[in-house]
Amino acid sequence: MNPLRRFLRVPEARAGVVILAALLAMALSASLFFPGDPQAIAGPALLPPFKDWSLPLGTDRLGRDVLAELFHGARTSLAVGIAAAAAALVIGAIIGTLAGFAGGLIDELLMRTTDAFQTVPSFLLALAFVSVVGPSLGVVVAAIALGAWTGPARVARAEVLSIRERDFVAGARVTGMHPLEIAFREILPNALPPVLALSSVIVAAAILTEAALSFLGLGDPNRVTWGGMIAEGRAVLRTAPFLSIIPGIALVLTVLGVYLAGEGVVETTAVRRSLS
Amino acid sequence: MSSPLLSVSGLTKRYRRGVKIIAAVDDVSFHIETGETLALAGPSGSGKSTIARLVLRLVEPDAGRIRFEGEDFLALGGAALRSRRARLQMVFQDPLAAFNPRATVARVLDDPLRVHGIASRQERPRRIAALLERVGLTPDLAPRAIHEISGGQRQRVAIARAIATKPSLIVFDEAVSALDLSVRGQILRLLLDLQREERIAYLFISHDLGVISAIAHRVVILDAGTIAESGNARAVIDAPQSAIGKALVAATPRLNRTRP
Repeated sequence: MNPLRRFLRVPEARAGVVILAALLAMALSASLFFPGDPQAIAGPALLPPFKDWSLPLGTDRLGRDVLAELFHGARTSLAVGIAAAAAALVIGAIIGTLAGFAGGLIDELLMRTTDAFQTVPSFLLALAFVSVVGPSLGVVVAAIALGAWTGPARVARAEVLSIRERDFVAGARVTGMHPLEIAFREILPNALPPVLALSSVIVAAAILTEAALSFLGLGDPNRVTWGGMIAEGRAVLRTAPFLSIIPGIALVLTVLGVYLAGEGVVETTAVRRSLS
Repeated sequence: MSSPLLSVSGLTKRYRRGVKIIAAVDDVSFHIETGETLALAGPSGSGKSTIARLVLRLVEPDAGRIRFEGEDFLALGGAALRSRRARLQMVFQDPLAAFNPRATVARVLDDPLRVHGIASRQERPRRIAALLERVGLTPDLAPRAIHEISGGQRQRVAIARAIATKPSLIVFDEAVSALDLSVRGQILRLLLDLQREERIAYLFISHDLGVISAIAHRVVILDAGTIAESGNARAVIDAPQSAIGKALVAATPRLNRTRP
């Protein structure tokens, strides 16, 4: 059976894929259904949901279309989540591989740096970074990746430490291969699977961190974000709670979808391992 | 051309085990001439594989000298060492573990040709096909993954990788121990052919005196990291002098031996 079919037989995976596909569709179709600026005023302020079908989810304090904001916010959440996780995995894999392969002083140096990053709460690190450099999408991605690369680095190092003792690495040395080529072409690809298994956790955490930064007003001010929407709605929480609840639900569903899909991947690979 | 191809003198490697320091290899000296096969025999734990790894500079010795092709091999480092590795190759015991699990046959043979600049990118597929034929395999095997081919084929690919850079010495670390008997015979015949045609010297490590008597000119018998005895392979196997040599000969099964 091919891996995709086996993956889709896991119930968690199916649920996760459905949620993520819906999210992806929202992100991709945002400018199709809601062309123009989602932050433009579209109707009367504080219109409740399901009252006016041209504005199905109502409007916020300034009369902006909540559904349009939700669609455009999906873009930001997905983009930041995936970009930050990818950056964290790449940085972590490279640093972990170098530390594990080089050993000695380089290993000490890199791993103590990792320790230093790990002892600072990653959210505080992101907060400090964004408030110093200034909020923009790229900075937010960098800020989140800055706190998330330590996990992949540790896992990659542990894998590399066991792989570098294997005969095929000795074979590559006998062949006369450059140490960097051995590290990144021979060892790293074999060390990746357990590192990639972390990706769902990191993507979910990155989406939440981005929302939290936006909630505190440190998101990119030119983009709609779910965290920013929740913060907007907070001022009118008693009179118009839906303004916070709707993006909140979107956030919960997204993180749930990422976790479920990740769980599905773990389940599929576990099944394959027990079979072989 | 009076100095031997490889000469090893006073080679010593110690490992710490807890507070005790154990000498895995203790003051071992031997030499190999061009086109000659020297066998290292001994029970497990006698330091055979450690010697292989020391000679190939996969592990650094604590003391001793290694001269290879007239050069102090231990003084080399970095790029100089990597370029000399073309002349000194190795074939491992487990032919599956010796290759990157993600590799194909073609990539395994491409690496030495590329690293040592032996053939251009366009030329390499042809060279790979020629290497496969040289070790008795069909060139159609090139695109196959290493785990898809049989153990005997894998060991032939390992030999092809070793001869790709035209070495003057190949170290075999228990290279035929994991193969079944009929395949073992074919591989030994291939090695004898290669040696006769290319004048490659072999350092052949094995615990199996039957295999050693088939391939080696001289033999060194090791015990607990030191040399117990050495000499002409036939002479040593026919009349071992040391206790460990006698034990190894007695342990070698023979077809015509009567059951006790």
